[in-house]
Amino acid sequence: MLVIATSDKGGTGRSVTSCNVAYRRALQGSDVCYLDFDFGSPTSGAIFSIDPVSRGTEGGGLHSYLQGKIAEPQRIDVWRQTDRETLRSRPPGAGRLVLLPGDQGGGEFSMTKDILQRCTKLFVRLLEEFDLCVVDLSAGRSYAAELVLAATAQQELRGVPHRWLVFHRWTRQHVIAASGLVYGRRGLIEAGAERGHDSQVLADSIRFVRTAVVNPDSEELAGLRPTQVVWLLDCNKDLQELARQHQLGRTMVLATIPLDPVLQMREQLISDRDVWASQIANAATVAAFDQLARRIADDAAWDEL
Amino acid sequence: MPSPARSDAGGDGAGILIGEVHTGLLLNSASLRQDMLPAVLGLLPGERVRSFERPISHAVSPELLVGVDCDLSTASGTRVRGIGTLAVRAAITGGRVLQGSAWTRLMGGHAEHRLPWSHYLARPGVVETVGRRRNHPYHADLADGFLDRTNNRKAPGIDFGAICGQIMGEVQRSPYLDRRSPFKAARTTLRWVAEESPERRIGFILGDDGSRTTRITFDGQPISAVIELCEDLALHDWLLSTLLDVIDRGMPSDGPHETMMRRIRPAVDHLIHLWMPGARVVESLLPLWESLDTKPGFTRQWDTLVNRIRDQLALRTLTLLSASAEGVPGRNEQGIRS
Amino acid sequence: MTSAHVTFGEVAAERRISNIPLSHVSVELGHLYMDDFEAGRDALRRQFERVRPWAETVTQINEGRVRRPRISTCFLIDDYFTRFSTPSVVIGDLLAASEAAGLRIDYIARESGCAVADGVPLAELVHARLVPDPPPGTNGSRPPPHESGWLSNGERSPSGGVDEAMGQVAAWLPPRENAARHHSIFLDVEMWTDEGDRRIWSCPYLAAVWQLLRLGLLRDDGRPVAVPVPAPDPLPDDWDDLPAIIQMVPSAPPFAAYTTMSVLSSRFLPVEHAVRVILGQVSISAAVLEQTVRRGADENLEIPRDILKRIGYAIPGEI
Ligand SMILES: Nc1ncnc2c1ncn2[C@@H]1O[C@H](COP(=O)(O)OP(=O)(O)OP(=O)(O)O)[C@@H](O)[C@H]1O
Ligand SMILES: [Mg+2]
Repeated sequence: MLVIATSDKGGTGRSVTSCNVAYRRALQGSDVCYLDFDFGSPTSGAIFSIDPVSRGTEGGGLHSYLQGKIAEPQRIDVWRQTDRETLRSRPPGAGRLVLLPGDQGGGEFSMTKDILQRCTKLFVRLLEEFDLCVVDLSAGRSYAAELVLAATAQQELRGVPHRWLVFHRWTRQHVIAASGLVYGRRGLIEAGAERGHDSQVLADSIRFVRTAVVNPDSEELAGLRPTQVVWLLDCNKDLQELARQHQLGRTMVLATIPLDPVLQMREQLISDRDVWASQIANAATVAAFDQLARRIADDAAWDEL
Repeated sequence: MPSPARSDAGGDGAGILIGEVHTGLLLNSASLRQDMLPAVLGLLPGERVRSFERPISHAVSPELLVGVDCDLSTASGTRVRGIGTLAVRAAITGGRVLQGSAWTRLMGGHAEHRLPWSHYLARPGVVETVGRRRNHPYHADLADGFLDRTNNRKAPGIDFGAICGQIMGEVQRSPYLDRRSPFKAARTTLRWVAEESPERRIGFILGDDGSRTTRITFDGQPISAVIELCEDLALHDWLLSTLLDVIDRGMPSDGPHETMMRRIRPAVDHLIHLWMPGARVVESLLPLWESLDTKPGFTRQWDTLVNRIRDQLALRTLTLLSASAEGVPGRNEQGIRS
Repeated sequence: MTSAHVTFGEVAAERRISNIPLSHVSVELGHLYMDDFEAGRDALRRQFERVRPWAETVTQINEGRVRRPRISTCFLIDDYFTRFSTPSVVIGDLLAASEAAGLRIDYIARESGCAVADGVPLAELVHARLVPDPPPGTNGSRPPPHESGWLSNGERSPSGGVDEAMGQVAAWLPPRENAARHHSIFLDVEMWTDEGDRRIWSCPYLAAVWQLLRLGLLRDDGRPVAVPVPAPDPLPDDWDDLPAIIQMVPSAPPFAAYTTMSVLSSRFLPVEHAVRVILGQVSISAAVLEQTVRRGADENLEIPRDILKRIGYAIPGEI
């Protein structure tokens, strides 16, 4: 299955969340690969703590592959290559976790027929070996988004499930922007239909993920003044209403990821150790990642509304 | 205009055969029916797909050619330029396993420089080295260079991997496949060298990341027989690796039975009956397979795995039976008797 | 212990390659376009008169080489790019003109037959067999860059421009012939264009297929293609009703031959260069190649595997 991670705005937590979800899914026993399609800024290596590719690879990454300079893009086995000792070596029962990084110094490029064909080939190639391919796009209406929209509409990928996750922060601007990216002019649905998707089917395969959400009831906020709590609750209610109006109400939400102190400071994978041994991350964050990882592949969570 | 025959054939004898076989899972929900094979493997219009039904369904695409002109890998790092073509084909076994197989014969060339391309197309599946060289050590240098995947002093050489990947991709994207395979499996790659020699030898090295190398000798058998041996070897090595992986993952000592069943089931359904070592290998090359089967003992390991799975399944059935026996009073005796 | 010798075969697994009869040389006496036809019968006769000494030379040379040379002659009519008149009129005029000039035409072919012959898409079969001439440095890592519909004998000049946002601007480089010694003669040949659903094959492309037919090197699933049939009597009124190749002389030596010789006016030189660039990149089935070489050896002839070495021309000035 292909899962495509996108967002209208930058810095939503798209990459950090989808890396963690890939990691969780692998722990759950699936073979997972992660494709860095953020061509303007290929930095997912950093989230997996793989220093040599933290800003993209020099060994022929996705940029070189899609532009026809190499036959296959480099693959990095995260279990083996990560610098974090606690993550190294695959736990028993876990699946493969492989990163396909972009090129170091790589930039955006526009889509041509050849690039589209190579992208389609790559997806078919990866579907042979992986249960789940997570494709992390650039923010907004990007060439990467156009490329993946077109590729998933190709005959070769028609029978293959592909699902879109649209990430946004839980603020007014982000809600409106995320809605625009999906339903707006030249948004995913309109652009997808132009490239051969059935708009209803495409719309049914899109869900939203709210990131870094502050839960007004959580114990961390216990120190807030009552006026602050009331204000937060009011805002939250307004946001719920706004989201509903913009077609990203509760039924369209696949997951809500709470604000986490570790992620606020650093883009990284959160291991169970970070929660239970060193206790720096919140259990609720890991639970949310874990649940999202399960729901991605759970048809019931995607059934028509 | 035709001219009377002359006798000299030119060239430097048989040269050495080098090749690679990549093996993976066909992207289709059901195992592919025999009658679909010609459509899926018909990669060259006008040329027939060869298919066999006995002892196991097996079909081979027509051979395609790929042109190369590049420095070959040598163990010594000496520059040797090779020009010519590789042959490449795809094969499907049991309607389930896809292989991409590419090879060429390295031979001393006729010229000190590049000849017109038609010269090379007239020798399909041959790569000629440019410049005259002595025979034996030169072949060994090329063979060692080709098999050694770690030496980075040498030229990258012919990219067999890309060529096999290309043809497998073409099959996997066939409109006749639904691309919904019941499970996922990693590919393995077998890199091989075959040299003509009366002395019978075979070596097999298991590397990381599904990469294997083998080195064999043959003695007068046609090239096609050598290639079939390598493909058969690669097929069984992949079956074994895939089953090992499934079991590694599907049988954590304390996992729930449902998870175990979900993981092991596809292997049982789709892979176990495909084990048939040597089925398509010519008789005179069978001893090579057999010696490999004695050490490291492919079949022995396979049988052990299969037995382990059978035991697990039997255990599972027993647990189910006793569970239902406990859960439904009065069914006890029936359950045991049946 | 004894072991039985068992043979077991499966029909679907066997590849059988038909043998086809072969002459020593196939001589092409000319190629008829609408303009040539409209110039009239006398012009045709004069043209044949100028071809005749060259055709006779071919016979002489071969008589010196083999004991009883089999030499067949053929003539190609363009019914692909322009349709003119009817088969009975055109072929009637041709035969009359050649006879008047003292030349015998054994076989007449129509150019459309090089695209699709009796239902077999020959042009497509040949297209699938192209193995592009690899520029130095090609190791198979990526498929050779190709321009859809074009085939060259080297490396094209890079197209310039920028691939990536803020990437480097590519500098101009000259094109290069792969087999160049010191200097290049680079040629880029247009093989086809698509007009809507229809693919139009270029003149040199069809001429390349024509050479392959004359060399007897094409098969469809092992079966011979465009097999000559005796000329129907009367000739049909529609070109489409005419078989791809018709045999005019019942006792003629076989149409296909080990080698070909074409007598052409020098204005065809660029076309034939293009034909050779294409043919130099067609991979002939190894089995067919072997079969021809073996057949030659049986007659004590050495047939070169390199097909370009089997294709010859006589190219006088405007004839
Ligand atoms: N749940 C969270 N709690 C707190 N901080 C978070 C959370 N998720 C992500 N962040 C932080 O938000 C910042 C942006 O995250 P990330 O880089 O994943 O966003 P992005 O949408 O991929 O951005 P870009 O568009 O630049 O690629 C990072 O510093 C990250 O650590
Ligand atoms: Mg990002």
